[in-house]
Amino acid sequence: MILKLALTGMRKKRRDYLILFTGLIISVAVFYMFLTMSLNKDFIARNSVINHIQPVFLVGTVLLSVTTFFYLFYTNSFLLSLRKKEFGLYGLIGVKKQQIGRVFRLETLVITIGALVIGLALGVLLSRVVSWLLMSGLDVGFAEFKVIYVPAVMWTAVYFLIASFITSSVHSARLAKTPIIELLRSDVQSERVVKKPTLTALQTMLGVLFLGIGYLSLYFMEQLRFIGLFTAPVTTTAGTYLLFAALLPVIVRKWKRNKKANLRGINAFTSGQLNFRLSSLKWVLATIAMLIALSAGAIAGGFAFKNDAFLSIDRSWQYDAALYNPGSAEIALLATIPLQEQNSFHVKQDDTYLYYVREELNAAPPLVTDWETYRVVRPEPLPENMKIEDDYQIIPDNWVAALETINPALAGTKSFRIVPLEQYERITGEEVSILLARTADFSAYLQKWQALEELQNDVYSTMMPGFDPKTDAVTSKYSQFKSQYALASGTFFMGFFLGLAFLTMMASILMFKILSGAANDIRRYDSLRKLGVRRKLLENSISREILIVFLFPGVLGLMHVLVGMRLFSFILQEPYYRLWVSILIFLAIYGGYYFFTVHLYRKIVLSHQ
Amino acid sequence: MKPILHAKNISKTYGKKGTAAYTAVRDLSFSMNEGEFIGIMGPSGSGKTTLLNMVATLDPVTEGDITIDGVSVSAMTEDQLSDFRAERLGFIFQDFNLLESMTVFENIALPLSLRNAEVEEIQDRVLQVSGIIGIGELLENYPAELSGGQKQRAAIARALIHEPALLLADEPTGALDSRNAETLLDTLAELNAVRNVSILMVTHDPRSASYCSRVLFIKDGKLDRELVPSGTREAFHQEILTVLGDLDRRSGAGGRA
Ligand SMILES: Nc1ncnc2c1ncn2[C@@H]1O[C@H](COP(=O)(O)OP(=O)(O)OP(=O)(O)O)[C@@H](O)[C@H]1O
Ligand SMILES: [Mg+2]
Repeated sequence: MILKLALTGMRKKRRDYLILFTGLIISVAVFYMFLTMSLNKDFIARNSVINHIQPVFLVGTVLLSVTTFFYLFYTNSFLLSLRKKEFGLYGLIGVKKQQIGRVFRLETLVITIGALVIGLALGVLLSRVVSWLLMSGLDVGFAEFKVIYVPAVMWTAVYFLIASFITSSVHSARLAKTPIIELLRSDVQSERVVKKPTLTALQTMLGVLFLGIGYLSLYFMEQLRFIGLFTAPVTTTAGTYLLFAALLPVIVRKWKRNKKANLRGINAFTSGQLNFRLSSLKWVLATIAMLIALSAGAIAGGFAFKNDAFLSIDRSWQYDAALYNPGSAEIALLATIPLQEQNSFHVKQDDTYLYYVREELNAAPPLVTDWETYRVVRPEPLPENMKIEDDYQIIPDNWVAALETINPALAGTKSFRIVPLEQYERITGEEVSILLARTADFSAYLQKWQALEELQNDVYSTMMPGFDPKTDAVTSKYSQFKSQYALASGTFFMGFFLGLAFLTMMASILMFKILSGAANDIRRYDSLRKLGVRRKLLENSISREILIVFLFPGVLGLMHVLVGMRLFSFILQEPYYRLWVSILIFLAIYGGYYFFTVHLYRKIVLSHQ
Repeated sequence: MKPILHAKNISKTYGKKGTAAYTAVRDLSFSMNEGEFIGIMGPSGSGKTTLLNMVATLDPVTEGDITIDGVSVSAMTEDQLSDFRAERLGFIFQDFNLLESMTVFENIALPLSLRNAEVEEIQDRVLQVSGIIGIGELLENYPAELSGGQKQRAAIARALIHEPALLLADEPTGALDSRNAETLLDTLAELNAVRNVSILMVTHDPRSASYCSRVLFIKDGKLDRELVPSGTREAFHQEILTVLGDLDRRSGAGGRA
């Protein structure tokens, strides 16, 4: 009996459930993808590159689970409000509150299970795609990666079941406390007339002020540092909410005051609808503006991070390769790369020291970044006498950097001694030669650096006993680039999919909000039709009305992103790198939702014509 | 006399063909001349609203044909029908059909706005008509803030503002007290007499019907009888009461009330 009630109730609100469902499916899929990426044990353990990405996806999972929880909570309360009247009727015919609560929980459970099944299937597909993209992007094999990973499936299911249980329990408890008469009335509450503006001027001023402070602190992030990190998000959010609360009704009222435009065609109807909609949706719209900023920001941040991997590697490494004891294979390969500069150095090592030749160093001082001026320079020639204090040879800072540049693999393992040539020749110990090479564009020859690295593995094995190229990596520009790039790619994918998940969730909330009011509008559009308004005119009115509802949060959200990307100037060189791509992605998804909403809305209110 | 409306053997069947179909109007014919004020009476559920909706081009006929102003309705496209309604017809619906998201002023102005009339003209007309109907003080309110009778009057103002050729009214006095009802009917009668507006009005109220120049009685979807006044309004009122009593007696044994 109860099951039957639940099913018929759901069938009646199929459309609303379907919209909720899509949002839920996407979040299940992305959730699962994040989990497989971060939990796949064998795959992680065997892969030094992936080791770096894993925490990124874990962070993404945490962020996603928090937002998903709120999404579930929010949508679940919508569902309840949709069914209140029906539940009130059940109460009227004598069904107990507990039973009604059970019906509601059961419904939520059924939806969650349905979303889990489809979402997990989609998630597997998504993991396949993402892992393939990562694989080809990072040039690593993902042999051990399992697209269907049981623990990830389990945790996803557990999380969503628990979250839906909690939200539906909270709401059915709330339901139990509501008197039947109130449930029955909940549908009747007529959309009240918009309140006369009180304090709107003050609210608007405060809103603009807060937003201004927020934008300024974002813009001067580098100067403000931690103060900015606090003020920027707080004031921007406060400003957004204030502006939506105060400004939207005022704008629509202004429109309406323009009699000439308002009394043309069905403009009065369109603006009247908007008036009601904007004032009842203002909190949702403000929230959506913030979420848009977050999601587009996440996507843009991902792009910028990926770009930064190239920029930052060139900042810390002036030479693209340092080849130890290069053999003929290395020399031949190097000959195919157009070099700007190449220099050879010699190092001898005994048990305690690494020895460099002073004359050789002075003859060709390598490029280093001066840590005081941040300029790329060649160090001044070394002095004749270099004191030794506490077993540590005192040399200019730039030369310390130069030695690390010349000998990246060994520099950190032992102390150094720079000695004159004659002394060097007398030192007994194993000698290695190192060839430094520099091109105009490191990123253009990645494949060659990788090939050189592979050739060097043999040298590393003889030079450093116990070296295993499968698990160990020697410090080099390419190896460091590879792990940074992996991290950046992970961040990129995380930002991208997190943004995608946020965006789908919030767009589905907006869509849901608009469509759940559509039932009330059927009569209005029907009246207009009866009065002789052409269908085309009604369709246009719908497109325009919904466009404006979508436009406000979209514009403000994008503005937030444009200013907000400054936030990343902390850690990124070019935070605005390819921002247009993420804006385009945002526009495509958001626009898609807009057209879909218009389509569904038209179908609902104009269907019988 | 120019015929404005001609309904020929029209029927309306609700529901899918075959299964549980319900015929609300069957094989009904009547004509209306320009300047006539016709009343339609009959028991609840007899098909009055259905008939009005078909005449109003809102509902297609299942069978038969309706001609308005010499044009067959079934031959018109959807847009033509819309324009036709907007220009030639005025509606007073049984359930008002005011638009809640617009002020009373905007509601009344709508038919003129649809023709893109000048703002000054719109304002003048709305003030004029709402003054006649007696809702001049409520123009800036929203329908939700009005009483039932006030809503009905707003709906009437909207139906009259563009001076339609044919006014269709479904129980326009249903929610009014007798004094307001009288005012409204006087207004309708005046429009009919002075401006030659043709009116087709569904009503349950014999007194309202007595204002008409002809009354059609409908029973079970069929035209049962026609009545034309022969003397004073009071005499017509009595005649209508007699016919209604007769109708009631005939259906008293088990039919619908
Ligand atoms: N859309 C519809 N679908 C199915 N049946 C309908 C529909 N509209 C009306 N009916 C049926 O057609 C019959 C006539 O309805 P109609 O509304 O024309 O009655 P009425 O004479 O206007 O009654 P009242 O005086 O109560 O307004 C009724 O039995 C009604 O149930
Ligand atoms: Mg009726």
